[in-house]
Amino acid sequence: MIELHGVWKAFSVGPVKIPALSDVSFRITRGEFVILTGASGAGKTTLLRLLYRDDVPTEGHIEVLGHDLEGLRRSEVAGLRRSIGIVFQDAKLLPGRTIYENIAFVLRVLGTPRREITARVFDALRAVGLSSRAQAYPAQLSQGEAQRAALARALVRKPPLLIADEPTGNLDDAMAAEILEVIKDIWIVGTTVVLATHQLRLATALKRRTLVLEAGRLVKDQG
Amino acid sequence: MLGFLLSEAVRDLRRAGRVAVSAILLITLAMAAVGGFWLMTSNIGRAVSQWRDRVRIIVYLRQEPADGTIPTLMGSVLGTPGVASAAYVSRTQALTTLKRALGRDASVLDQLSANPLSASIEVTPSADAVTPEAARRLLQRLSALPEVEEIAGSVDWVERLSQWQRLLFMIGLGIGAVFGLAAILTVTTATTLVLHARRHETEIMRLVGAPELVIRVPLLLQGMLQGLIGAVVAVVLLVTAYRFAAPHLEPLINITIGLPRLSFLPPLGIAALIATGTFLGAFGGWLARGRREP
Repeated sequence: MIELHGVWKAFSVGPVKIPALSDVSFRITRGEFVILTGASGAGKTTLLRLLYRDDVPTEGHIEVLGHDLEGLRRSEVAGLRRSIGIVFQDAKLLPGRTIYENIAFVLRVLGTPRREITARVFDALRAVGLSSRAQAYPAQLSQGEAQRAALARALVRKPPLLIADEPTGNLDDAMAAEILEVIKDIWIVGTTVVLATHQLRLATALKRRTLVLEAGRLVKDQG
Repeated sequence: MLGFLLSEAVRDLRRAGRVAVSAILLITLAMAAVGGFWLMTSNIGRAVSQWRDRVRIIVYLRQEPADGTIPTLMGSVLGTPGVASAAYVSRTQALTTLKRALGRDASVLDQLSANPLSASIEVTPSADAVTPEAARRLLQRLSALPEVEEIAGSVDWVERLSQWQRLLFMIGLGIGAVFGLAAILTVTTATTLVLHARRHETEIMRLVGAPELVIRVPLLLQGMLQGLIGAVVAVVLLVTAYRFAAPHLEPLINITIGLPRLSFLPPLGIAALIATGTFLGAFGGWLARGRREP
């Protein structure tokens, strides 16, 4: 499902090249739940951005969901992303739209027939336990609820791969546990999950395969 | 999908706020300037073509030809290149016409011992001879006839009117182009503001794999909407100004250039103005481009 071979990524600041990832290689198979951990600045977000082709590696080869990411055309990038659900530390909900509209927005931009939208949005909201808050605006939600809404938005397209970048970073322990439960539920129904977190305690508690990054290098692949 | 794209375009237009209003105003000014000058020049054009149809050249003859020689003379005149038709006017006919023109004062002519008027031929030039150069050539050819004493008539003033028409049209285009350029830049600014305001939507759209067309079409549509609204307002202003001004201007226009009635732009012209405004808006919207994918 995901394969990285000798991936390097460096950012240029003037004439200076700052390495963000160095020679990273690993493989994730369908249905796995993989935790990507490491201190802040270790390269977790950079690595995830490469997976959904928000950036390109300086060197190396990446394959995701059967797409060789090297030289993908823009339309092919859009095709790849339609198969990936992405959530961030910041829920990135649109403030001027209700939770229902935020989730429906994704379906509408992808051309989903209008008659299917309502049912699919409420299915996704039920899956994250948020159907009673459909008409609320993002500002009216707690951080945990906002993150669940973001998960519902990622899920509504039923993607085979979920990429979560520090989804619990802004939450207290109880809310973080709730979100992780929701993500586990998503994984249980067959979605491959790649979850990045700097909270080592969370990573350990999940008891799943863990990739540890240190200064851009993959130093541990356990579980 | 079209409904979604349109609703997003309207949402974007609201977001652009006052800058969008400025853009609409500039498009209105551009289209009103072009439309106003177009209206003027099309009416002057009608006057020019009307006067070209009425142009006559009078060929005065040295002496009244004998009845038997008139057909030969008329044949020579009609055979001259650039002549569409010709009518012989005898000295007696000329005097009768003059008397009719003088009306109650016609009795002064009775004091004359003899008819002082010359026989003449009224020549109507063909359409291709109603330019200054062609008319000069026609006058030269007619002067060369041995029976001809003098020739009266010129198309210079018609041509001057035509030059005024072209000048006004160019001025209109120039003013329209300046306003049009300003309008494009303002629509681009409005769209850039929209791009900034909708950056979160754009980010989400890209992350979920929305086609690039779906991301960009609302921007293009909101530009088109600004152009369309501006152009429609311009047409409404032109119609209102025309309805108000035409009855007051028509007597003056009739006296000066002989056009009894003014006419508004044809439906195709109105459609062209609206299409041009819409295109200006769309072009401005298209010029504002956001971040491209790596």
